[in-house]
Parts: sequence; structure tokens; C-alpha cells
Amino acid sequence: MHPEKPKHDFEPKIIAFVCTWCTYAGADLAGTSRMQYPPNVRVLKFPCTGRIDPVFILKAFQQGADGVLVSGCHPGDCHYIAGNFHARRRFAAFRKLLEFVGVDLNRLQFSWVSAAEGGKWVEVVTELTEKVRSMGPMVEFKELALEEQWSGAIDTPELKEAYEQI
Amino acid sequence: MTQPIDTSIYAAVTAAIQGEAKRILSEGQVTAIVGYAAARRKGSAQPIVISQPDDAQKLIFTPACVNNLAVYLTKAKKEIPKTGKIGIVVKGCDLKALAGLMGESQLKRENLYLIGVPCAGVLGSTIQPDTELTSDSIAPKCTECNERMPPECDFVPAVQVPVNQGLEKKYAAEIARLEALTPQERWAYWKEQFSKCIKCYACRQVCPFCFCEQCLCDRNKPQMVETTPRPAGNFAWHIVRAMHLAGRCAGCAECERVCPMDIPLNLLNRKMAKELKELFEHEAGFEVQEKGPLNSFTDKDDQSFIK
Repeated sequence: MHPEKPKHDFEPKIIAFVCTWCTYAGADLAGTSRMQYPPNVRVLKFPCTGRIDPVFILKAFQQGADGVLVSGCHPGDCHYIAGNFHARRRFAAFRKLLEFVGVDLNRLQFSWVSAAEGGKWVEVVTELTEKVRSMGPMVEFKELALEEQWSGAIDTPELKEAYEQI
Repeated sequence: MTQPIDTSIYAAVTAAIQGEAKRILSEGQVTAIVGYAAARRKGSAQPIVISQPDDAQKLIFTPACVNNLAVYLTKAKKEIPKTGKIGIVVKGCDLKALAGLMGESQLKRENLYLIGVPCAGVLGSTIQPDTELTSDSIAPKCTECNERMPPECDFVPAVQVPVNQGLEKKYAAEIARLEALTPQERWAYWKEQFSKCIKCYACRQVCPFCFCEQCLCDRNKPQMVETTPRPAGNFAWHIVRAMHLAGRCAGCAECERVCPMDIPLNLLNRKMAKELKELFEHEAGFEVQEKGPLNSFTDKDDQSFIK
């Protein structure tokens, strides 16, 4: 009945922040239409993409996500009139900031998926999962979370010199 | 090459500020004036609030007047604006912060008496206060400053401010250098910079725009940003700070000046300002804007990054 599942060395963890009105319904449609998509994605439902704070994305990476998907209604279809327009600007800026501090933007995907686009949801999720799978685990933020206090270490010459002078 | 910067106008500026402060205080136009006064170390300056006409002679303006006094009208001295009309000594960069605060309904123009200062530049944060102002000792923000004459103030000393002599733009150069690196190198650079952070929150304390009664980063249910000075929390704090200031920061570089660990915080702010100008054609300026770039939108915004 079921197609053969390929075995992979690495299964990425994808966190999807979706809006309840469009993408969540779209993902639901994909499910009720019995479309197959990777089980790597964990869906988190929000009222609107305008509710999704960039800090949620940071938190997701710190807690071990390898990729993050943010998805909501197409422009003009927002249940709250303009939430996705605000989100579009905010994420455009946030992407630039992440790029500047050295985060690979291929791990972060934004998309508009309407309640009728079950197929597009499958496509977006599959593509992101495969892309992140080929990139391997996201180690940068995990290392940060595991590392101990840096500022306690006297490891720079200036700090050492200042310490000696006390 | 070190080139000296002409600060000969500062004596005239000081005299004009003192005269004007004395006049408006004795005429009762303002109840208090926030300005700069000489501090105990030679050549240094500190903020002062005066309410008596006789104290007007304490006011000065020198290259050591580095503070952005706008912060005294928002949080630390919240009671000051309530006492009536307030005079404040502002440089061009400080006036931008005030314009931003007015746009965010934190201050009202009619409650302020602006004493604008024609400014040729102030000293950098790590320079001794009695040092002569040169292209080396000048604050990096002043190398990029083109607004040396604050416009639309209630009073501006009538002096001719020397033009920016084409100093090397330090932030622009550093941003260009970082942008040319690979993502891994940039990550390593910021990891090292943020590793110095001790989470003293001086950058938050001194920023005129960080006026939230309760900061997102202090909340613990849910805790969005780790509060201890550990790597993950440090990184998140600085990204959240840059994001919350994007489109609002006026570029006074106070965050960078007060940072005890010398983290180049204003670099992030300048980078975001540059990007927002490219994306949404928005720039912090002297005119009061009701909507910033991140709380307004058009239906034609770029969405090439969205599938």
C-alpha cells in the first residue's frame, strides 16, 4: 500500500510557524486529501503571520531546529486585513540582520500558502526538508546553547594585562 | 593621516547657550533645562538639569559633551517632562532621536524648548576627555554626520559650523568589510564580539528608544531570551535589540559608547538603517514621522524571498 520509505542518515527538524486561517487550513487540506509530505515538519499554529515575532525563529534555532518555515495568507487575504503585510516587511528586515550575523538563509523559508493550496504546502515542505537535509544539521545555534559562559574566561591579551595590573 | 578638527566655534556656542538658558529660565519660559556641565575630571563633561537662572553659567559645550540628553526625557528622569516646558541642549544626532520619540508619541514638541548646537563633532568613547579633537579621536558617528546644524530648533547659536571635511566613514567601511566576508567568518566575528557581553544592559538603559516599561528580554513567562550572560542569551539579546531598533534608531551611537566591553553595537544599527533605506526608502531624520518602516507597509513591498 505505502510506497517504500527511503532511509536517510540525517533527518532534519523543521519548525513551521503557520497562520491558522490559511496555511494551517492548507496543511489540513493536504492531510485530508491524503497527500504525502515529510514528517520532519512540526507545525506551530499562530493567529496570523503578524503574530510571529522574529525572536520565535531565534528560539526555534536555539532549541535545535535545523530549518524554519514561516507561512501565511497571500497578500490581501489576511483575516486581520494587514497582518501579513506587516510580517512581510519585518521578515525582509530580519533576513538581512540574520545574514549580517552569518546565518545561512537557506535554512529559513517564507511562503504564502492559502487554504486551498494543499499541493503547494506539500511542495514547500518537501523542498525545504530536502534542502536542509543536504545542508546537514544546524550546528551554530546549538553550539551557542551548549557553550558555557564566555565572558568569565580571561583569554584575550588585553583582559589578561588588565587583570595583572589589579 | 591625522587631521585636526576645528572646534573654535565651541566657545561661542557655550556663551550663546548660557545666555539663552539664563533668558528663558528668568522669563519663566521653561521650568528646567537639560544640558552639559563641566565634570570633575579635566576637560570632561556630564549631563546636568538646571532650574535656576543663576545656574545657566554652568552650561558648557565642548568635544567631551558626548551624551544624548534625549534619554533624560523618556525613562530615567520620567518626572522631568511632567514639570512643564523643558529646555534641552541638542546636537543634530540627538535631535533625530527626539524627532523619533515625538513620532512615537513619547514627547510633545510644544512641551520642549530646543536649544540646538552647531556641532563639529565629539570625542570617541575610549578617548580621554581633554584630548584635542582630530580625525583619529573623533567619535565614529561624527565621521558620517552631515547634519551639523540642527534645524527647526527654538534657538540656535549664530555661528558658522565647519563642514564635514570628508573624513573616512568608519561604520560604512566596517560594514563593507564584514559584508565581503563569508557567512562563517561573519558568524565567528559576531560570536567573538557577543562573547564579551556581560549583560549589563547599559545599551538598553542609555537608548532613548528602549522605553518599554517591561522589556521582552526581562520576561520569564515565557522566557524568550535567556537572561544570563551565556552565549545563547547574549546572541539573542543583541539580535532582538537590533531588530527592535530597526527603523527607529537615530544613530546617536550611545549604545556603543556606554558598552563596557566595547562591542560594536552601532554597527548592527547602521547595517539595519542601511538595509531599511534600501528596502523601504526610510531614513531617520529631523521630520516627525508618525509611522516607521516596520509599522507601515505598501502592497508593493518586495517579496522576492517569499515562495
